Amino acid sequence: MKSHRVPRRWFLASAGAALGCSQDTRPRLNAYNWSTYIDPAMLARFESEHGVSVRYGTYESNEEMLAKVMTGNSGWDVVFPTHSRLAPMARNGLIAPLDHKRLPSLGNLDPRFQRPEWDINLQWGLPYMWNATGVVYNREQVAEPRGWADLWNPALRGRLTMLDDAEDVIGACLQKSGAPFGSIDARQLQTAKADAVRQKGLLRAYLNAEVRDQLIAGDVLAGQLWSTTAAQAMAASPKIGFVFPIEGYPLYCDCAVILHESSRYELAHEFLEFLLRPDVAAANARVGETATANAAARALLPHNPVLYPEASVYRRGVWPSALPSAAQRYRDRLWTEIKSA
Amino acid sequence: MKQRGLAVYAFCALAFLHLPLLILVAFSFNANRFTVWEGFSLRWYQAALSDPQLAAGLLNSLIIAGIAGVLSTIIGTLAAYGMWRRAAPVLSGTLYLSLVTPEIVTGVSLLALFQGVFRFLHLHLGLWTVIIAHVAFSIAYVTLVLSARLRGYDRSLEEAALDLGASPWHAFTRVTLPVLAPAIAAAGLLALVVSFDDYVITSLVAGVDSETLPMVIYAMARRGVSPVVNAVSALIVVGFSVIILISQRLQNQ
Amino acid sequence: MALFFLLPLVIVFACSLLTRGDYGGVEQPWTLESYLRILDPLYLAIFWRSLWIATVATALCSLLGFPLALFVARAGKRRNLYLQLVLLPFWTSFLVRTYAWLFILRDTGLVNTVLLRMHLIAGPLPLLYNDGAVLLGLVYNFLPFFVLPVYAALERLDPALAEAAADLGARPWPVLWRVIVPLSAPGIMAGAVLLFIPCLGAYLIPDLLGGGKTVMLGNLVQNQFTTARDWPFGSAASLVLMLLSALVLAGLVRSRVARELL
Repeated sequence: MKSHRVPRRWFLASAGAALGCSQDTRPRLNAYNWSTYIDPAMLARFESEHGVSVRYGTYESNEEMLAKVMTGNSGWDVVFPTHSRLAPMARNGLIAPLDHKRLPSLGNLDPRFQRPEWDINLQWGLPYMWNATGVVYNREQVAEPRGWADLWNPALRGRLTMLDDAEDVIGACLQKSGAPFGSIDARQLQTAKADAVRQKGLLRAYLNAEVRDQLIAGDVLAGQLWSTTAAQAMAASPKIGFVFPIEGYPLYCDCAVILHESSRYELAHEFLEFLLRPDVAAANARVGETATANAAARALLPHNPVLYPEASVYRRGVWPSALPSAAQRYRDRLWTEIKSA
Repeated sequence: MKQRGLAVYAFCALAFLHLPLLILVAFSFNANRFTVWEGFSLRWYQAALSDPQLAAGLLNSLIIAGIAGVLSTIIGTLAAYGMWRRAAPVLSGTLYLSLVTPEIVTGVSLLALFQGVFRFLHLHLGLWTVIIAHVAFSIAYVTLVLSARLRGYDRSLEEAALDLGASPWHAFTRVTLPVLAPAIAAAGLLALVVSFDDYVITSLVAGVDSETLPMVIYAMARRGVSPVVNAVSALIVVGFSVIILISQRLQNQ
Repeated sequence: MALFFLLPLVIVFACSLLTRGDYGGVEQPWTLESYLRILDPLYLAIFWRSLWIATVATALCSLLGFPLALFVARAGKRRNLYLQLVLLPFWTSFLVRTYAWLFILRDTGLVNTVLLRMHLIAGPLPLLYNDGAVLLGLVYNFLPFFVLPVYAALERLDPALAEAAADLGARPWPVLWRVIVPLSAPGIMAGAVLLFIPCLGAYLIPDLLGGGKTVMLGNLVQNQFTTARDWPFGSAASLVLMLLSALVLAGLVRSRVARELL
């Protein structure tokens, strides 16, 4: 690999020059992250503090990111997969283990994320931002829901939405009847599917973040939604409310990892250490109104019970893990059946 | 009488095409973050103009669409001309196949192809892989539009030129090309628009340095974050309108 | 050049015969399983539905687009201006345009608000999240794919031809039907092809304007390459989709109607 380095550089440089790109001689770091997960001003600060240039790209789904890094030749140094993807990525040799000696500020993390169940020794990923899926509703026109089961209320016909996401919808249907969110039991899944099909008659649509404007305008009265999107809607309109379902609900955490292919192991650690600084983490959380995993940063942010549920509520949450191949395929088929019903 | 009816219809059709533009221009001046009218404001324009990611994306998109548009127009025109002169079932077959491939499949297979090749050459995805991908998918559009045009073109014109002693190249450039010019312009425009607007294939083959405008806009819009995208779109529309008006002026002179 | 187009297809074909990798990608052994799975009535119904929607969208687009192309082609000196005007909306991002339609069609949107204010309706009309909205989105977004080739074909037609026919006493409609349409048939065919295929593979429009309540072929394929991480089935489904499009094309070109028109 090393012996090829020079010709490759040369080729890239000439290709860059041919396309009229400006040449930047500073060392660079290539970070690939979800959109609205970083404050551009913080990137500039890291660049000037370390005399480097950061090439920052964004993606909209884990799959988009995985498609690129899977071959181990993507050019990215740091990426931010969701917690459930850490184990599979590590097993495929895609990520380099974190060196805790280079991350002295790990103690800034919320105690919940110091020893997370998906990566107990923080060997692979640095917890960065997290969110939950719950029930959003219009306070003025709907009585406060308690859980998923209230999304089957016939009074909501035509003004109810669910997420356009197989894992979240099937998971909610499972939890509604007391089954675990990540169940692979065929009978439980069939019951969940029947529930989903029954609910479809009441649904306006399966929507993700697009539902936000319709909630604020009053077109949609209740639905399944991510806590971060709900928090944005609530900030814009006092009539919106959000509850964490009584039957349990899923939690997701996006973690910073250093790719195995990266040749900038040290600089990547410096970047992660920079992200751990309380003021930096707070600025990054403020940009997209997301929930930081950094306790020291949280102290700098206003308290928001939707982004940061109380301890008693938090306990009901589950961290989904990656499903086995066959179960994944079975669920995908169920999802197609639900959507075609 | 019939002409007037046609004009009225065309006016309605253009209104239908431009209605969403009016909406997004209106909302680009909305003070509120959401699609609820609050008051007039220029804050989104300020945000759009000071966003370095948008500027970089726009520059990349212009470079990519420019190069890919010109290349695919040239290659596509030559391919259509070649297929018109002599039947080339393999070439036309593959062109049509590339046309019927769903975008995501084109994207994934090109990504697999690039990454397979690059592993040996130690290359990375970048601006030029996006250009190659765009050329690959827009050639078929150009060829199809031009083939349709050529089907109605009289072969005898070119043969006459050849009989009068013109070289085949001369006959092509002096006789056929001028006749085809409007169709080539239409096909090239289609290629440009398709390239400028593509997201699915681009996002898959884009590398570290090649984020395009649609990718930046997608990132902003899918998370439902900001009306900045409306301001950007309005600016693009105004920019292109100005270019169109200027070119129209130049043509009339 | 043919190689460059064929190689990705070979990759897709190879993918379709392999086994699903646990986290995306493909693994040994070779199998025909992915093709057998398509024969499931669930997936066949999706194929059928997508064909139907794409056909209706193509028909609507042709009806709406042809007069527009005719108008632009006959605009003389101004035709470039009109051509640019047709294309102007398409320089904005596809997603932004579609979001604008969401705003026009939703319950508290433009159309319903206007109709309610004028007391023409008692409650908001359900304009969004149905097949009608999907069709509207398809027609809107793919109209230039039809208008441009038809314009390119019509542009060469000598207006004198139509005038001559009119002078000889032919009425406008027969002139259109007997003279103009047949002469521009190659352009119409090209336009229909350019339209039909992306309609068949569309997935964002059914998701955003149809509310994700139905599965189209495009969604099925997209889903296999993303959340379901089943590349072999995605490849197989897309190859069948391509075969289907190719058959429709061949059928269209060979059909009696087409031969009469050409």
